Amino acid sequence: MSTLVLDRVSKRFGGVIAADNVSMQVPSGRITGLIGPNGAGKTTIVNLITGMMELTAGAIKLDDRDLSTTSPHEVSRAGLARTFQNIRLFKEAPVIDNVMGGFHRHEKCSLVSSLFALPSARAETRQIREKAGALLEKFGMTRYASYPAGSLAYGHQRRVEMMRALASGPSVLLLDEPVAGMNDVEAGELGGIFRELANGGMAVLLIEHNMRFVTKLCEHVYVLDGGRLIAEGPPKQVTSDPAVIAAYLGA
Amino acid sequence: MMSDLFIAYRPLIDLFLLHSGFALGQYIVLRAGVFSVANAGLTAIGAYLSAWLTLRAGVHPALSVIAGTAAGTLVALLLSWPLARLRGVYQAIATLAFVQVVLSLNVYSERFTGGAMGMNGIPKVVSTGTLFISLLVTLYIIWAISRTRLGRAFDAIRQDEMVAASLGASVRYYQSVAFAISGAIAGYFGAMEAFNTYTIEPQRFGFDFLVAALTYVVFGGRRSIWGPVVGAAVLIALPELARPLAEYRTLVYGLIMIVVMAHLPRGVFDTFVEYLHRRRMARMDRAAIAKGDNA
Repeated sequence: MSTLVLDRVSKRFGGVIAADNVSMQVPSGRITGLIGPNGAGKTTIVNLITGMMELTAGAIKLDDRDLSTTSPHEVSRAGLARTFQNIRLFKEAPVIDNVMGGFHRHEKCSLVSSLFALPSARAETRQIREKAGALLEKFGMTRYASYPAGSLAYGHQRRVEMMRALASGPSVLLLDEPVAGMNDVEAGELGGIFRELANGGMAVLLIEHNMRFVTKLCEHVYVLDGGRLIAEGPPKQVTSDPAVIAAYLGA
Repeated sequence: MMSDLFIAYRPLIDLFLLHSGFALGQYIVLRAGVFSVANAGLTAIGAYLSAWLTLRAGVHPALSVIAGTAAGTLVALLLSWPLARLRGVYQAIATLAFVQVVLSLNVYSERFTGGAMGMNGIPKVVSTGTLFISLLVTLYIIWAISRTRLGRAFDAIRQDEMVAASLGASVRYYQSVAFAISGAIAGYFGAMEAFNTYTIEPQRFGFDFLVAALTYVVFGGRRSIWGPVVGAAVLIALPELARPLAEYRTLVYGLIMIVVMAHLPRGVFDTFVEYLHRRRMARMDRAAIAKGDNA
């Protein structure tokens, strides 16, 4: 059971304030939403959490572990997985290889055993392939295993990215606009999967544009505008907040 | 008859085996997404150190080869430190400068290296058989890397550094490892060259070497481990088969490079493998449709 905490996080680029005193809680077992109009600073928050950018002030913690100055690969090793806003797959590699990549953080074989393909390294490769196969099956993607990931339909590519993120067995899952460009049926299907993951004890942070999707899925929503939090609470309450309506309609 | 043929072509076979080694050293850094051309310099270090140890210090050739390999590895590791801050074409420029530095040092420190004349009278202790086994072992190691954790990390980093990091792979660590492996292969085959060709001189590890090693990989292919070997085989056989071409070797390499990059950007061998894969996938699709599975 893990909780991701942002404690008065700020980020400045010279005179531009991209994030100003943002505090958030992303507890396990819940889908937490982060919404806001274009340019509100959502991507900045994602980059700060994943270690792609350095904080100007504040702290980011995963349980007792301080992630404020941690590099991206260490953030991943601490148990945080993510998907990307504009799907980033290894396009030429087969789907199964893409998913196998997700297991990286659990690979343990030594440099030497990998260099000479000693039995321990081969066994590890075999296990990872099996686990990846099981994930493909769960997502109904088995028949695409050996297709180049880039050749799949858009919705399927989203699934591959999701599987890759889940392969790392994260305690926190960060979804950056996971249903962008999908119709309601497809979005609903994925929403069901997110729900299941949260019910299984994962902390899910959903960054979204699609208000309908967020209202349906999230228990708790943070609203960002101009780098500051302007509202938080249950989706019903937040969407009727005058400040939020003003931000979204540009009034 | 068969053995006559072998003897006649032996120098060519040796050349092919050596250059396949150089090509694989170049291949492995590219595979991890490092655009380095340092191999010419690293090979020179392996060649010069091992030749010097045996000629001037009387060290047993086997130990000299080990020392040459270790030196290649070590220098590569040191080089990977400043290189980690650079990307793409800047890595190429920086490593090109490194090759020039090694070349100049070999020319100017005459007392150790024999200057522009190089070193002569190196005992020929490396035969075709040794080269052949060396290439097999190198291929095995690269195959092993491809099938295990290292290869997966290299492939991820080459294709998208940001994604690789988000999956927990340290780009700096894996690129240093790739660099060290490449340095070991370069240093080793440099020593092989020294003990196979009687003589070494600075210019042999200069721009022509660098272009040749790159061309083998680009021409053959960068994904399959056979790509660089196929590249070396074709490009070394080509000028021999068409004798008049031999004089214009670099010109021919340049032209081939342009044509391959424009029309077969993945290299001949990888393009071929991909063609087979596509055909198999199409066959599977047809079979699935015939079974009535339209999903």
